[in-house]
Amino acid sequence: MPAPMEVFKLLPMTNCKICGEQTCMSFAFKVINRERKLDECKPLFEEDRYEEQRNKLIEMLKPVEKATDTGLIVEEELCVGCANCIVCCPVHAADDPYGMGSGKGPTIEKPILLIENGVVKVIEMSACRRYGKHRTLCVACRENCPTDAISFLEE
Amino acid sequence: MGKSDENTQITTCPGCSCLCDDIKIIQKNRVIKVLNACRRGANIFLNSNKGRAVPSIRENVTNLESALEKAGELITDSRRLAIYGLDTTTSEAQNLAIDLAEKTGAYIDDNSSYCLGEFVEMCLKETLPTTTLDDVRDNAYVIIYWGSNPFHSIPRHMSRYSYFPRGKNRQRGYEEDRFLVIIDVRNNNTSKLVKRNGVFLEIESDVELINEINDFLEDKASKHTDQIARIVRELRKGDAIIFGGLGLKYGLKDSENGSKNYGEFVNLVKKLNKISNVYFMPAGFHPNMRGFNEALFKRTGYLNKYNFKEKTSKNKYEFSRLLKEDKIDTALIIGSDPVNSLPFEFSKKLSGIKTIVIDPRQNLTSLISEVVIPSAISGVESRGTMVRSDGLKFELNPISRNTCYLSDEYILKRLLDVV
Repeated sequence: MPAPMEVFKLLPMTNCKICGEQTCMSFAFKVINRERKLDECKPLFEEDRYEEQRNKLIEMLKPVEKATDTGLIVEEELCVGCANCIVCCPVHAADDPYGMGSGKGPTIEKPILLIENGVVKVIEMSACRRYGKHRTLCVACRENCPTDAISFLEE
Repeated sequence: MGKSDENTQITTCPGCSCLCDDIKIIQKNRVIKVLNACRRGANIFLNSNKGRAVPSIRENVTNLESALEKAGELITDSRRLAIYGLDTTTSEAQNLAIDLAEKTGAYIDDNSSYCLGEFVEMCLKETLPTTTLDDVRDNAYVIIYWGSNPFHSIPRHMSRYSYFPRGKNRQRGYEEDRFLVIIDVRNNNTSKLVKRNGVFLEIESDVELINEINDFLEDKASKHTDQIARIVRELRKGDAIIFGGLGLKYGLKDSENGSKNYGEFVNLVKKLNKISNVYFMPAGFHPNMRGFNEALFKRTGYLNKYNFKEKTSKNKYEFSRLLKEDKIDTALIIGSDPVNSLPFEFSKKLSGIKTIVIDPRQNLTSLISEVVIPSAISGVESRGTMVRSDGLKFELNPISRNTCYLSDEYILKRLLDVV
């Protein structure tokens, strides 16, 4: 995952305020948190001298686009479907104690994660503890993944 | 076609000895979605139509009837027959295979002779206290994987039965109510899961570790004293389970003392039982290996490598040794691929003898065999029962009923009638 400083170094660094942010650094932070989009930096896309930087940034921010609303990224090719993430999830344990909380398949309609065709899929991200304004930075699913198939944007 | 054409079914996965019974299959003419199964299990259902075997005699495609007739002839004419495989088929078919071996005075063996047969024997003969996986989920506090990497061989083992799930007396799950111990010769994907409530013991020799634990119990210091002390301290807090894997088996077996070290391991578990309730279970293997071991044990008192002519079991009756020493003239292989799994030095001899393969899919062994009989995939296309690694029986719930393939059970019944 790119660090805000890496993104900042490739931005025009003129603090032109066209995007509405006070500095390019704060814009870089917000791009990584997906509160702003890269194409909101007008000089970067309009001026030819930034072309090389622009391409590098687009390449660098590809994983950010792949991430879900909570910053969770699943790399399906690494997943073996062991379901550790599903069983250890505190939300699953609370909502479905005799299903996912006890190691079995879900008995509720919309779990956060589900093993489909042998790999983990995101079903209902809004139930996650990381979702919304008052979020908790829970990392239970990432911590218990033996293959690092799950990662988070901020790390 | 709308969503109403979709048909959902709950079934048991015949992928490994976990036999997960919560697999949801969604079909619309074919399997379109498999829910809850691991990658290994899901692909059995998703790719059930791929790479299927065709009936053939000496590499010439023929019809099923002639292949069955030819197989019957070969078995009738054989003087020294060996029946091998059987671990992926149903208990009913395994019993028929034992009948066939008894009728023809054949050798019978399965993968357990080089897999975890010895550990299953310890459980069946009650040399060591054992339990069920559901009890492990409900009660176990210390969970020890010794020489086993469940991530690779039995992916859902930890999330379904041992470390992660919350149980009746372990409601706080892995966060508070479990202590994980991984004993292995190297760092692996499972040892990565060891956090503050766990210990990873990287060892060089299993026998050495057994001696070290014995030393600790006699108040002597050793290389891993700190970690062993922590494990023993945790043992006092609740029940423990040791899942023994292939690493432990070969760690104990491949030594100058032969299999004498099993005794040392058994003594260690007995000693630890004075501190706490320590149970033992083989970690995991082929889906119905324990089923075969139990069936043969019930009939003969031995688990594998049995010779029905001499009514005894010896190491030299192991399938790979029979091949090595040219003891057999015909081999009947059911649901296994010895050319892939046994050393090539031995398995290449299958091309020199009369080999009959009964298998759903084409494999390396079927390429060199005299007769190939395609069969239905147990659990996907044919019904029956299988036995989980803890000895519990599970009824299979096939997802397609109108298959054109014959079940192993039917094929073996036909062969039994002819011989």
